[in-house]
Amino acid sequence: MKKWNRSVKVALAVATTAGLVIGVLSPATAATRSTVVIIDSNAFTSLNPSHNEHNLVLNSNVAYMSGIGFNYYDDKPVLVENKTFGSYKIVSKSPFKVKYTVNKGRIWSDGTPITGVDLLLTHVVSSDQYSIDAGLGDPASEDKEPAFDSGGYSGTYNTLIKNITLAPDRMSVVIEWKKFFPDWEVFAPGVSPVHALVAMAEGKTKLGTNANNVANKNKFLRAFLSKDTDMLRKIGKVWSNSYNVTEVNEKTNPLLLVVNGAMQVESIVKNQRVTLKLNPNYNSGPETSGIEKIVYVTIPDSTAAAQALANKEADYYSALATADSVALLNKIKGITLDGTPEATYEHVEIRSGSAPGGKEYTGPFAGMSQKAKDLRTAALLAWPRQEIIDKIVKPVNSKAVVMNSLQYFPTEPNYGKMIAANELDKFTDGTQAQRTAKALALVKKYYPDAKAGSNSVKIEVLYNTSARRASQAALAKAELSEAGFQVNLNPKSNWGALLTDSTYDVAFYAWGKSALLQTGNFSSYKSADSDSGYLNAKVDEIIGELELGNYNDDQRYSRYLAIEKLMAEDAVSLPIFLWPTLTAVNSDLKNVRPGPLVPNGLWNFWEWTY
Amino acid sequence: MFAFIMRRLGTLGVILFGSSFLLFNLAALSGDPVGELRASNEPDAEARIAAITRSLRLDLPPPVRYFIWLRGILGVFVGKFDLGQTRTSEPVAVAVFDAIPTTLRLVTTAAITAIVLGIAIGIITALRQYSRFDYSMTFFSFLLFSLPIFWVAVLLKQFMAIEFNNWLAEPTIPPTAMITIGLILGLIVAAAIGGDRKKYWRVFFITAAGTVVTLVLMLQLNWFLQPSLGPLGFFAASVGAALLITQLSVGLQHKPSLRAALCMSVLGLVSYYPVNWLFNKENQPLVIFGLLLLTIASAIAASIFFAKIDRGPVVRTAVLTGILTGLLMILDKLMRTWEPYFNTDAVNGRPVPTVGQTNSLLESDDYWISLLDVAMHLVLPTIALTAISFAGYIRFSRGTMLEVLNQDYIRTARAKGLNERTVIMRHAFRNTMIPMTTIIVVDFASILGGAIITERVFGWTGMGTLFNTAINSFDLNLLMGVFFLTASLALVANLVADLLYSVMDPRIRVGAGA
Repeated sequence: MKKWNRSVKVALAVATTAGLVIGVLSPATAATRSTVVIIDSNAFTSLNPSHNEHNLVLNSNVAYMSGIGFNYYDDKPVLVENKTFGSYKIVSKSPFKVKYTVNKGRIWSDGTPITGVDLLLTHVVSSDQYSIDAGLGDPASEDKEPAFDSGGYSGTYNTLIKNITLAPDRMSVVIEWKKFFPDWEVFAPGVSPVHALVAMAEGKTKLGTNANNVANKNKFLRAFLSKDTDMLRKIGKVWSNSYNVTEVNEKTNPLLLVVNGAMQVESIVKNQRVTLKLNPNYNSGPETSGIEKIVYVTIPDSTAAAQALANKEADYYSALATADSVALLNKIKGITLDGTPEATYEHVEIRSGSAPGGKEYTGPFAGMSQKAKDLRTAALLAWPRQEIIDKIVKPVNSKAVVMNSLQYFPTEPNYGKMIAANELDKFTDGTQAQRTAKALALVKKYYPDAKAGSNSVKIEVLYNTSARRASQAALAKAELSEAGFQVNLNPKSNWGALLTDSTYDVAFYAWGKSALLQTGNFSSYKSADSDSGYLNAKVDEIIGELELGNYNDDQRYSRYLAIEKLMAEDAVSLPIFLWPTLTAVNSDLKNVRPGPLVPNGLWNFWEWTY
Repeated sequence: MFAFIMRRLGTLGVILFGSSFLLFNLAALSGDPVGELRASNEPDAEARIAAITRSLRLDLPPPVRYFIWLRGILGVFVGKFDLGQTRTSEPVAVAVFDAIPTTLRLVTTAAITAIVLGIAIGIITALRQYSRFDYSMTFFSFLLFSLPIFWVAVLLKQFMAIEFNNWLAEPTIPPTAMITIGLILGLIVAAAIGGDRKKYWRVFFITAAGTVVTLVLMLQLNWFLQPSLGPLGFFAASVGAALLITQLSVGLQHKPSLRAALCMSVLGLVSYYPVNWLFNKENQPLVIFGLLLLTIASAIAASIFFAKIDRGPVVRTAVLTGILTGLLMILDKLMRTWEPYFNTDAVNGRPVPTVGQTNSLLESDDYWISLLDVAMHLVLPTIALTAISFAGYIRFSRGTMLEVLNQDYIRTARAKGLNERTVIMRHAFRNTMIPMTTIIVVDFASILGGAIITERVFGWTGMGTLFNTAINSFDLNLLMGVFFLTASLALVANLVADLLYSVMDPRIRVGAGA
């Protein structure tokens, strides 16, 4: 008995020792991480960001990761053709036709093959005419929403695209434009899982068999071609309502989650997070590099976001930079900060006339007379751009410079060439004191007793109510008063609506862009669209050319230069600075290279790796 | 009484109508829902402005839109109550009712802690009026009261989460820090206990030395990485709870109560291992509920056994002790869950989070790990909310207690020769609670309005966030939905408080003379 006891003890001791040895020998951190937690300030609202009311950055980012089409913007930014998915080429110059072909073998996450039929829905949700013809409602109507409550109607697609036709092999579509359009590439049709839409329209709540899916795809095609109002309305109901989910769990209809992108929504906890996992059937785009799960967490407060990064609760955070957030993020160890400027720039606009349909403008800057031009030039000369950069932008981005071209950002290759030629240098020559003196001299021509603080020219300045805008306005007011201007400040939260209001002589705000179009940054200076009432027939003519001409880079450049020169002469607009987006990333996460265009840092998520 | 209530409900309707009309119009005039789009130079901006104008009826002036909203509310009389839709086409009622549990989860623990701590400290300071403890607590509570919560939150996150998690990677405490902690705790405890100079210093030294020894032991036993009470620590804590509850409710000299309470502690110790075995079974909420019923049943049985007459107070004492013992057992289980939780991939050695309601990566089927995760996410917000809100309760209960202690009936009670415990707990404390109750009722109503700043800094989406979102995105329906609920609750709570007052204090009669 005693002996047995002892053997038990020995056995126990051996087992314990073995356990300890195994514990010590096994590596402390075995697996590499395969998850990325991304902070977003909003809560998720819909799987369909094309919906009129769900055009939210977070929704679009989730959609970007879970769906991929013919092209995407990289960090240069250049529109990259996604050759894994398909290809496109111009098949006819006149009439202008482009053929889009999906490669064979591409499949949805439920295994259904992707074909040309999946490209047709774009037409349904973008063409006003189709919506009207198919009895789905007039998207331009004031009082009733169309069956597909899409944000895509009444835009360029609707204005310029005539028709879309499916090729006989059903793998391609041909888009016919009403006339040549230089930015046709941006308007590639997107893919939609039409078989899933049809299944949901018929009330299904489970993934179908392959045969079902093919049948459903054909049903959609028939409905599309015959403009079957009943069927399309049912699909429209699904498209407009069913995808608006704030919660995804095991009870969610799996048909909603059919995608072709690298990631697929796994679960959504309302107001808290969206979890995406690898799509096992993904073959529509570039291969992923080891990240298996991406989670978007909702943290509205920027300090909270920074501290979550510091506590390693999150790996990726991107926000409009402020001096506070830069200071805070700089202190955190183990993260990499990237200050890529986004495609948003601050600029000052001087009114020279009334906006289309606006009340007549009679202020000091009205018209194209020499006096109005001189006074506008004076105001722009005295606008303390360098001081604004030094005091407001440099604390956020130490490399910031005064932006001196309306078309090119200081980061772009053509910028140097442009600023040497565009004649905006008269607003940067010398010191600010010298420029303000020149401005005062110009004002004196018309108001002989003007001097610093004389308040000879009264102007109303409009801007948004934010701290950054307020400090810019204060700097401008002080400097302009040196040149004889009396500046009344009008910080307004509804400034956007007031841009067309002739009460205000000057406005400064930011313009952003989401795609590289041939009209560049100038479409808003067309007299028909100009909020500040700018009217220069020559400028209108060149913008008209840019809207429709087929130009190479040099031809485009020469037109941009011509506009910039004309506008410098008219002294109606001046860029100030490019606002940086701050992206803070866990230093262990590699290959994050934010670009200036949406989706900024996420564009190459498939290359991310630890 | 009936007339009084009807009159109050009538006023309530008028107030709701007036305030909602004002708020709706002010909010509608405060900004432009399509402002951002107007400044956009995207080609489809015009179309999107038209679409938003269409869906929000921006073509109508705000007062007219108010009546459209009101029609939905008045639909309650025809069974079609409608709060409208948010700008993301979600029914407002759904958004609001989804936010309520989050808000409740965030603020309930903090509110209860603040009330219990606040009233306890308030009463102790009243009993030790003008003592060092009174002064320091007054100072301390005002200090906390005046701190902005976003700043408190930032500091808490920095020191109690980020730095603490860093420290946990290699938990050591330098001797100077240990001694400082001991001295500070000694000062606080000695000041709270009071007594003459000799007793004061004795308490001070015992506490300080005890703290240092405990800290050394905790480090030696690796307690910070593998915490637990263990059966003995659990039993000691349970006996302490039994003594405290008996003393407060009937006094230690009441033998049947003391016996019943101690019996509950012993039962706890005996069932320690069986209960822990049960804790590892499926369907924990049901198990815990069953154990709660069992605790209450055995507490009643114990009191019947130990007391032959006047069983009420004995049952009360035993049940409270039983429940506290159960909570201690749950605490012990959570402590022992710390290590597995700490080692999950999702937590990865950083157990104190700064933000959110749950860990975004944690996928555990284990009930206790999930529960601990929820609890860990509540720690910082609860501390922050408690710290800034309990000062009010301290001041109020101190003031009320002092006033009650000067009443004639207290002097009478003392003159009858009642002992101090009975005078304080039975005569003074109960009367102090009358005005406190009305405050607590109104506070609970305002709690549902959400803690806008707290929710924001801790990344919780409750009522406060909804309100904030509604204002920032000019979402009038959502704003009005939140407002309608909180305003109605506030008004109803005021009514309830008035009625409660008359129930608890027989000297007050509502509607008298009406």
